[in-house]
Amino acid sequence: MSQTVQAAPDESRQTVVRPGWKTPIVLVVFALVAFVFFGLLGDSGRTSTFRVSTSADAWQIEPLALSSRPVALALSALCLAIAVYAIALVRRGQQVPLSLTVMFGVAFVLAFLVWAVAGEQISLTSLLQGALALSVPLVFGAMSGLLCERSGVINIAIEGQLLAGAFLSAVVASLTGSVVAGLVAAVVAGLLVAFVLATFAIKYIVNQIIVGVVLNVLVLGVTNFFYSQLLAPESATWNSPDTLSRVRIPLLSEIPVLGPVMFNQTVIVYIMYITVIGIQVSLFRSRWGLRVRSVGEHPEAADTLGIDVNRTRFRNVLLGGMVAGFGGAFFTLGNVGSFSQDMSAGQGFIALAAMIFGRWNPIGALGAALLFGFANNLQSVLGIIGTPIPGEFMLMLPYVLTIFAVAGLVGRVRAPAADGRPYVKS
Amino acid sequence: MKTAARSVAVAGAVALFAASCGEAPEDEGSDSATGSAATGCMVSDEGGINDKSFNETSYKGLQQAEEEGIISEVSFAESQSEADYEPNVREMVQQDCSIIVTVGFALAAATEQAANANPDEKFAIVDYQYKDANSEVYEIDNVKPLVFNTHEAAFLAGYAAAAYTKTGKVGTWGGAKFPTVTIFMDGFYDGVQYHNQQKGTNVQVLGWDKESQEGQFVGDFENTGLAKQISDNLISQGADVLHPVAGPLAANAATAAQQAGDVAVIWADSDGFESAPEFKDVILTSVLKGMDNAVKAAVEETVNGNFSNEPYVGTLENGGVGLAPFHEFEDEISQETKDEIDQIREQIISGDLVVESPAAF
Repeated sequence: MSQTVQAAPDESRQTVVRPGWKTPIVLVVFALVAFVFFGLLGDSGRTSTFRVSTSADAWQIEPLALSSRPVALALSALCLAIAVYAIALVRRGQQVPLSLTVMFGVAFVLAFLVWAVAGEQISLTSLLQGALALSVPLVFGAMSGLLCERSGVINIAIEGQLLAGAFLSAVVASLTGSVVAGLVAAVVAGLLVAFVLATFAIKYIVNQIIVGVVLNVLVLGVTNFFYSQLLAPESATWNSPDTLSRVRIPLLSEIPVLGPVMFNQTVIVYIMYITVIGIQVSLFRSRWGLRVRSVGEHPEAADTLGIDVNRTRFRNVLLGGMVAGFGGAFFTLGNVGSFSQDMSAGQGFIALAAMIFGRWNPIGALGAALLFGFANNLQSVLGIIGTPIPGEFMLMLPYVLTIFAVAGLVGRVRAPAADGRPYVKS
Repeated sequence: MKTAARSVAVAGAVALFAASCGEAPEDEGSDSATGSAATGCMVSDEGGINDKSFNETSYKGLQQAEEEGIISEVSFAESQSEADYEPNVREMVQQDCSIIVTVGFALAAATEQAANANPDEKFAIVDYQYKDANSEVYEIDNVKPLVFNTHEAAFLAGYAAAAYTKTGKVGTWGGAKFPTVTIFMDGFYDGVQYHNQQKGTNVQVLGWDKESQEGQFVGDFENTGLAKQISDNLISQGADVLHPVAGPLAANAATAAQQAGDVAVIWADSDGFESAPEFKDVILTSVLKGMDNAVKAAVEETVNGNFSNEPYVGTLENGGVGLAPFHEFEDEISQETKDEIDQIREQIISGDLVVESPAAF
């Protein structure tokens, strides 16, 4: 076998980074859209009402009634101001800081919300709660993809790992009557799928994409088979798991809006926070993380230094599978209880997109997954109250937001240099 | 070595793929069967024959035909995705089927193609009537459409929901925006409006607007998370009756209702009290769509040599559609409302009250 991996381009040589005009231009365009459509063309004399407290909250806060047009105008003026400041920065040869773009995004979304909710009322808390619920599987999926790809193995099988986790957790939790056993089973299910992926992709050097796609079809077929043979006919025995109850964290859950959203959740969501932070810290601050990244960027160099490339990769793929499998339990134990056919519904692939969109960075991927979830739920909530926008445009919302975020926030995306390339010692 | 491993992997994948896509016929030697040697075949839509909804109800028709000795064997193929429609129908054509029932309008193209290619084979398609580019209905010699004017029954359900609601808001959502889904939502919407008009109430329908034909849809019949979320959103906006029209996803609305408390669900297709007993505490009533009877009748006709391509249209009048009993909610619906519903049913049957839907047949 000849050596298949080429040296990665040396990043450190690009010392001078010129600030691009792309970001300010995107910001100006979006700010103008906000100013004209949400501000100037908005109906005057209407109020947008946001319910802040849920009935279960300790401190009841009065619903926020905002006069739609002036508030939307103010927010879009803020957008314009940020855009102008960004232009000034670039002219002075400075980069537009990420925090500024994030601030712009928040102001833009708020302006849009105030405009869209004019004359109606929505619950801010349940909007965000729903957004988080829709994001959880995406976050776990993205973390799984990230663990694999940082070490140089492409994981297309996230979808299958999520589905396997959902399936086995429901079955085991039903049979044993214990949700904890269900959660453990979900991890095992993800691990099994990952083991097949790792064996074929790393040991037998089969094309990683093909193995992943085949695994997705395999898991779908197997779960459908068992569903129609066992789970559906005898659902009382096989498919009636308890769902996890929400655990309220004292004090933190009392914070208005964010408290009930973030700290009145199931165990799965708390473990999600820990997973994301844990991966972020250990990937960039630990010896393990350095090794994983070196194996994903430049396996020859890592090998020369005595790191067992393929063993590191194998471990990481297994770890990724466990994370995705655990995330799969959210579909069943964390949300609706029983398993149903193909319930992951393609979200493994959206998770993959979230990982790329988040630049192979845990916090970035988390942000991307939350954005997908938020846009998706916003689309539903605004659809219910009836908005001035036609339904077809509302369905585009998640994608419009994505384009905005990619164009304005993310910039150039670079995958790990050895991503998807098997390592064979020469 | 590498090539060998690769070919093993590919062979395994192909075998698994084949296993996952098509159910092999249970018994190759079908001629060993005694009595009526007829086989009833079915190709399901996505969602599968255990969807507690339209695929399952249609399949029940075949099973009943088998139990009653009309046919001796039942064969089915489940579609997992759009890519399975055509191969599944082709597989059934290759088997010795007396009639092939395809379930769902998504299979229309695959059915038409197979019917034209095999003029001797008999088909029945659930939920679809062929229309050309100018929306003119046309018939295929060997395909019998089995369609349902479910909006008539959903109208009754809408009326009941409007009478039941305490918050003054009721919600509905669909799986995908198919005419066979929106026809429920149209009827439900109009039933609520009729109650408002007759009783001077002001009950609002969330999730569907009949005029603009826009509303809440998951986009498929699989995404349980979004289905649950849409239900939660409707409840959060004040709806205390939900009418999900989404096959297997309807269970998620029932779960949301159980978690919220004080929220009732109107099931679609079959009587949810029987088909989904785990949710019987929240099922107010169900909009029935008698696909089982229609399928059984079509099979019987065919086996007796009386196949016709004349469409079957289920209505309140012929019992093809209907409203299920209120079961556990029997006491919560007043006798007055029940009498009014009976009266409306009579009026619809007699034609005094016309219920319309762009998706009607």
